Amino acid sequence: MKNTDTPEKKETKKITFPQEWLVPVLAVVTGLIVGAIVILVSGENPFVAYGALFEGSFGNPLDYVEGFKSFFTTGDTQLLLRAIYPFTESLVTATPYIFAGLSVALGFRCGLFNIGAEGQFFVGALTSAYIGYSLTGLPTIIHLPLAILGGALGGAIWGMIPGYLKARFGAHEVVNTIMMNWIAFRLSDWLLNGPMKSSGFRPVTPNVEVTAELPRFFPEPLRFNLGFFLALLFAYLVYWFLFKTTLGFEIRSVGANPDAAKYAGMNIIRNFVLVMFLAGGLAGLAGSAQVLGVDHWVGQGFSAGYGFDAIAIALLGKSHPAGVVLSALLFGFLRSGATDMQSIARIPIDIISIIQGVVIVFIAAPDIIRWLYRIRVKKAEDTVLTRGWGK
Amino acid sequence: MTNVLELRGITKRFPGVLANDKVDITLREGKILALLGENGAGKSTLMNILYGLYKPDEGQIFVRGQAVDILGPNDAIAQGIGMVHQHFMLVPVMTVTENVMLGIEPVKNGVFLDKEKVSNRIREISDQYGLEVDPNAYIRDLPVGIQQRVEIIKVLYRQADILILDEPTAVLTPQEVDGLFKIIDTLIKSGKSLIFITHKLKEVLAVADDITVLRLGKTVGSIDPKEATTDTLATMMVGRDVNLVVEKSPAKPGEPVLEVNDLFVRDERQQTTVQGISFEVRKGEVLGIAGVQGNGQTELVYALTGLLPLDTGTIQLTGKPLSHNSPREILERGVAHIPEDRQRHGLILSFPIHDNMVLCTYYKKPFANGISMQEKAIFSKSEELVKQYDVRTPNIYVNAGTLSGGNQQKVIIAREFSRPIELLIASQPTRGLDVGSIEYIHSQIIKKRDEGSGVLLVSSELDEILALSDRIAVMYKGQIMAVVDAASATKEQLGLLMAGVHPSESKNKK
Amino acid sequence: MKKLYFVMAALIVASLVLAACGGGAASGGDAIKVGEVTDLGGIDDKSFNANGWAGAQKAAEELGVEAKYLESTQQSDYAKNIQQFLDEDTNLIVTVGFLLGVDTATAAKANPETHFAIVDYAYPDCFDPAEEGKSCGSTTELPNVLGLTFQIDQAGFLAGYAAAGSTQTGKVATFGGINIPPVNAFMIGYEKGVMYYNEENGTAVEVLGWNTEANDGSFTGNFDSLDDGRSFAESFVQEGADIIMPVAGPVGLGSAAYCQESGACKIIGVDVDWTVSSPEYTDVILTSVLKNINVAVYDAIKAEVDGTFAGGIYVGTLANGGVGLSDVAGASDELKAGLDAVKQGIIDGTIATK
Repeated sequence: MKNTDTPEKKETKKITFPQEWLVPVLAVVTGLIVGAIVILVSGENPFVAYGALFEGSFGNPLDYVEGFKSFFTTGDTQLLLRAIYPFTESLVTATPYIFAGLSVALGFRCGLFNIGAEGQFFVGALTSAYIGYSLTGLPTIIHLPLAILGGALGGAIWGMIPGYLKARFGAHEVVNTIMMNWIAFRLSDWLLNGPMKSSGFRPVTPNVEVTAELPRFFPEPLRFNLGFFLALLFAYLVYWFLFKTTLGFEIRSVGANPDAAKYAGMNIIRNFVLVMFLAGGLAGLAGSAQVLGVDHWVGQGFSAGYGFDAIAIALLGKSHPAGVVLSALLFGFLRSGATDMQSIARIPIDIISIIQGVVIVFIAAPDIIRWLYRIRVKKAEDTVLTRGWGK
Repeated sequence: MTNVLELRGITKRFPGVLANDKVDITLREGKILALLGENGAGKSTLMNILYGLYKPDEGQIFVRGQAVDILGPNDAIAQGIGMVHQHFMLVPVMTVTENVMLGIEPVKNGVFLDKEKVSNRIREISDQYGLEVDPNAYIRDLPVGIQQRVEIIKVLYRQADILILDEPTAVLTPQEVDGLFKIIDTLIKSGKSLIFITHKLKEVLAVADDITVLRLGKTVGSIDPKEATTDTLATMMVGRDVNLVVEKSPAKPGEPVLEVNDLFVRDERQQTTVQGISFEVRKGEVLGIAGVQGNGQTELVYALTGLLPLDTGTIQLTGKPLSHNSPREILERGVAHIPEDRQRHGLILSFPIHDNMVLCTYYKKPFANGISMQEKAIFSKSEELVKQYDVRTPNIYVNAGTLSGGNQQKVIIAREFSRPIELLIASQPTRGLDVGSIEYIHSQIIKKRDEGSGVLLVSSELDEILALSDRIAVMYKGQIMAVVDAASATKEQLGLLMAGVHPSESKNKK
Repeated sequence: MKKLYFVMAALIVASLVLAACGGGAASGGDAIKVGEVTDLGGIDDKSFNANGWAGAQKAAEELGVEAKYLESTQQSDYAKNIQQFLDEDTNLIVTVGFLLGVDTATAAKANPETHFAIVDYAYPDCFDPAEEGKSCGSTTELPNVLGLTFQIDQAGFLAGYAAAGSTQTGKVATFGGINIPPVNAFMIGYEKGVMYYNEENGTAVEVLGWNTEANDGSFTGNFDSLDDGRSFAESFVQEGADIIMPVAGPVGLGSAAYCQESGACKIIGVDVDWTVSSPEYTDVILTSVLKNINVAVYDAIKAEVDGTFAGGIYVGTLANGGVGLSDVAGASDELKAGLDAVKQGIIDGTIATK
């Protein structure tokens, strides 16, 4: 066909991209500036603080130079490993954020607000841990996928319950996912003190078998593992699913305009259940990757609120898998770098929460950012995130 | 007689578009100026400039002979200019009084809202202009026509004497339009001046004292309504001769495609709004359903397209009953649906045109292979449809929300006509559209009829029903009053039926 | 906009330069370096972490050590924060709480030159079928790790004695978070203390919520639900108790709130002096069982400074001030004298608390 010279026209589509991402980027910048002001007010030097934050998340450039020097002259890897340690730790921290962010983003795309990622994370982690330590003598090739799959399935079921309740009884998923969180927390309390408790008195699970661990790429103490690449793979899969498949098309249609989706013959209820199942699975994978890749055991307070930070990550990433990966990396670098900031600059770790909070406020109220930076709105074609309470 | 408002040489550029090009308009005191133009002619831009929402690049505004700069709505209000927007700016969960006082809340004793003062003033205004609005009613409980009056009260409360009504009749039923015209009359008699923005030609001729026509951002000219006809106005608006009469040959009805038997339907609030309807639509004919808005037409169409469940009754498509009355089944059985509310049901505004083009067929070959969507096929089909149906858009990758109403409707029509269909259900297919688009859509509907599809046309515009239908069913309170032959039907006869009066009864009364 | 980008770029470059220079500057000086790694409670938990940090700060003031802390916000931070201190060549790393048990042992084994002190934990902690480095830290005592443990049953004993001497109803109660030794040690001593009071004074005060013989009692199952604290207190009051010792962290604050509202009970605080950590409940706090982590941490740091640091187990007792009981509100002179005598008896070893 002659009138299908699409490549040329596709470019005009891509031009709108930066404009769309300007607000999130400026929100982050503003968050850092506000953070700097808070640091300044508390009597510290923001440059030193952010210098430490940078060093803590990417590593010290001089260490890299030393590391490579010693590697090429003596073949000794120790200094080099030490140099890349902060960077790899950031990626390790970002890994559960990517999974959990994808979970919430997938929900948003269907107009569902999955506040339950935290609970799904717990259930996923516990399931993976159980499969990881209770089965012995399996080869890695079977044990590891089984443990990962178990975590995904555990989270998926935990997510599907509110999805089903919404579809069947119209119960709002926000309320139900919060309830499921509490059930998960208390369930984990009970499991860690009872059936899943390791020997000794501590309320923790036994460590998972080596065959269930996600392989690490470097010697101790570097914890960088296959989980990060799994997260990237799943980000791509979610992208493909959402934008290249009929199922994703339905999900996005239901999210953007449920009336039109119904008009077009899509089954809205089935999509709700499907999305909550998949979103739960992704959050479960976050827990799975954390337990199989980093901790190898689950104790009380296993999650640091990944499921809640994930909401911010999905918002910041505009519910697009690529955006989620970027904002998860940002959160990972901030969280991980904060250790150095705490130690070198003596800035309490809470400053990171302040920066995150400011970013979220600006993302939720983009008009402030537009006003602050005098950005003209072309045409407000806002994506609908969630439906109100009435529907 | 003085000119209360004059706009001279107003020019406004947007990136890539010259929205207003040296536009001049003049509003005489105590008169109604109709501002006429197709969608995208620059009417809204001009009014936004007047209301201070945009700053003109060139030109000057004069209010009562004084050159003024209007930098924001507050300046406009200070100059006595008030605007009634097409889309109402009302808070549904608040009362009339609360809505009117929003933004200028008067207080007593320093802190307490003085609602009483406002509601008394509303009563005064309401009595003075015959608006009949209860200050304590909640907006959500009011019909659209009354909500519009609340908007008018908001403007009058702010002591405007130059009123701008933006497409005020687009959302009203014929009765409500009559009511509005009466109100306009009272307003003029009490010394207000009005700008009336519309693209409905007959209304213009009915109410305007002066007419100014805009086209492509320019003033085409002004004309005295006494000398104008709908044809001359249409030609000025569109820039070419417009065929307002739909040319069609007599119908050649064939087999029934849709048979409806004793249908009862409840709406979303569980009110039975369709009460025992039976009719049939045959191949190659247009059955028009006339009636005042809100007599069950919407629910009838929803039931026929699977958007609402049936209470009782049966629907047969091409002689076979439906198994579970789902939208998907009905689509697959060859029914095309141009929905009444194109932005709610017809399109996903935040999706690009190409996605909207395959909204009902995305899962079928060649657009999907298994679950994998085939972008190439979707893009090429969309390009083809955009060309074939003359959708005015830079490309198929822009969001449907960026298109004008007429072009949005064309996307829906292109999509619905792009698959083989037995039956077309068109509900208010030209509501809110400009003359050029109406002409095009009417011709497309007749074309489908001539290709052998059955057409069910639901419209609250009698002119449209009369122009397109072969047979006309009139709905009143959820029932069909009568089915008449379009060729012999008259407006008067239909009007009586729409009011619930049987022709036989009216003859008896004579 | 262009200006903005420029400013941003300049800021980033400035940060980079400072980052490159900052690393070395921070780690100057010859002072002994001490680092505390908190558990998830954070540095201002008004409990273990805060208490440990108080000891470190005192050491910084009096002994001139350089003290720092790193807060853990998630489980995976434990190893990371320990590693951070190792990278900074810290001399003594204090880890707070048994959840850091495995990570501390792992790091200690990998870094034999560095000294560690772990609060409320000790090695060896591996008992069959636990696997070293996984579900437990070490099968042997570690020469560079000092376990800071507390014979809290001694202080619990005093609390039980004080409770028995203060009750109006003849019933006193206790409950725990979960039934693990660090928790039930309080309750064991408490019950013993009540029994001892009964023997001495010919009373018949009953203990609700714990039975050492059965090794079981009332547990909330968590350490964070204030609602549980409230409902446990309420049911104990219904059973007739008027003094309650909640051994479940912040859960006890729920109990305190209930007592304050109902006026029907008094609370015995644990770990720290609750009249200091939660002064709003002072009027319902009878006394507090003190686990003086600050003393233990200070002593460990002092040993490090003096060059006498040795691995093994530090046991906080009434004798060395590692545990204690705060002042008992409204205690009669008779009760005060009794408590003093009991304390002396425990220190002398004439009274058994377990």
